[in-house]
Amino acid sequence: MPRINELTLLPKLPLLITESADEFDALRDAFEEEIKPRGIIEQIYVHDICSIVWEIRRLRRCKVVIINSAFRSALEHLLARLLRQPGEYEYDVEDEAQALAQVWFTDEAAKKRVSELLSRVELDESAIEAEAIRKSSSELELLDRMLTSLESRRNKALGCVAEYRASLAQQLRESTDRIIDGKGVLRLEDAASQQSTAA
Amino acid sequence: MASERQIAANRRNARKSTGPRSAEGRKRASRNAYRHGLTLSIASTAAFAKQLDKLVREIAGDSKDAIMLERAREIAQAELDLARVRRAKVALIERASAFGELDPAQAFSTVTEIKRFFNALDRGRLIVPKPTDPSATMPSQEPDRTAEAVRRVLPELRKLDRYERRAAVRRDLAVLDFLIEYNANTINSCARAKRSQFF
Repeated sequence: MPRINELTLLPKLPLLITESADEFDALRDAFEEEIKPRGIIEQIYVHDICSIVWEIRRLRRCKVVIINSAFRSALEHLLARLLRQPGEYEYDVEDEAQALAQVWFTDEAAKKRVSELLSRVELDESAIEAEAIRKSSSELELLDRMLTSLESRRNKALGCVAEYRASLAQQLRESTDRIIDGKGVLRLEDAASQQSTAA
Repeated sequence: MASERQIAANRRNARKSTGPRSAEGRKRASRNAYRHGLTLSIASTAAFAKQLDKLVREIAGDSKDAIMLERAREIAQAELDLARVRRAKVALIERASAFGELDPAQAFSTVTEIKRFFNALDRGRLIVPKPTDPSATMPSQEPDRTAEAVRRVLPELRKLDRYERRAAVRRDLAVLDFLIEYNANTINSCARAKRSQFF
């Protein structure tokens, strides 16, 4: 799908086939509206900020899904411990735990049974979420590191736009002042004396 | 500890281990350290070189100053490097989403499977393990599938993140240098303009 309003010189941000180009365009338009980039350098920074924000969103979505998808195995693990009677091993109740975890997502009766099992040891459903987070902690840690890095780059890029704009304005002001003060240019009398010497 | 004779023998033998001798072997060995090609200069392909030149022109504007052009080239090169890393990231996720993992599945995925294979072989039975299909364990629905793909390529994404950060730092430094050069050029051109008023 062709992307509208894309600055042809800057490389387009590649999107996953499941991501919406319209959503990305809307995000970029919002940033352009807010920052109002002037010149190619500022456009580069705005493009960078949009790309980073888009990736942050992508990773945050993944983080939630990774936790959610670990729910079933987390529940199986918890149930195996809760269903086990004294003298039994976890693999004795493995099948039952798997079956119960399978229907827990859709069956109200299964949900009630799991709640009862959890409340026996004074736990509630947040224990399942905690176990899911624990199970996916290594991936979540990596994701968090990447998110931290991206967030710091986004903030830096935002700072760079402001810095670039301020610096450019300052330099232009200084240049103008130099011209007005006559610093760095030949003064009229110097020019006249040079002309007379030459003559 | 090795004796004098052993050390001398080791040295003699080491002199024979000088790597591949055939042209084909040498060519293969020359790519031993090649990982992903992201450190290659982007100007090494014709299409990129063209895109780079266009971006340089846009950044440098009408300037013919060699230093300004060089600074603009540094910015453009870093910007296109960033784009290349971003494309690589998306391509990795798409590949993992399509095939389940980046590398093709091995016949034996664990040491236990290899042991089992040889034990069976000793007993005169040939049990060839069925190749596992990593894509079969991928969720079929979105956004779960993409999240799972991201999870499976997280270590690679983290490595690419390092390259992306480096390219961003290079670009930011190049922008600063460009600004300094721009300032120097502005002062000079203003001075020239002022001078031309008097002469």
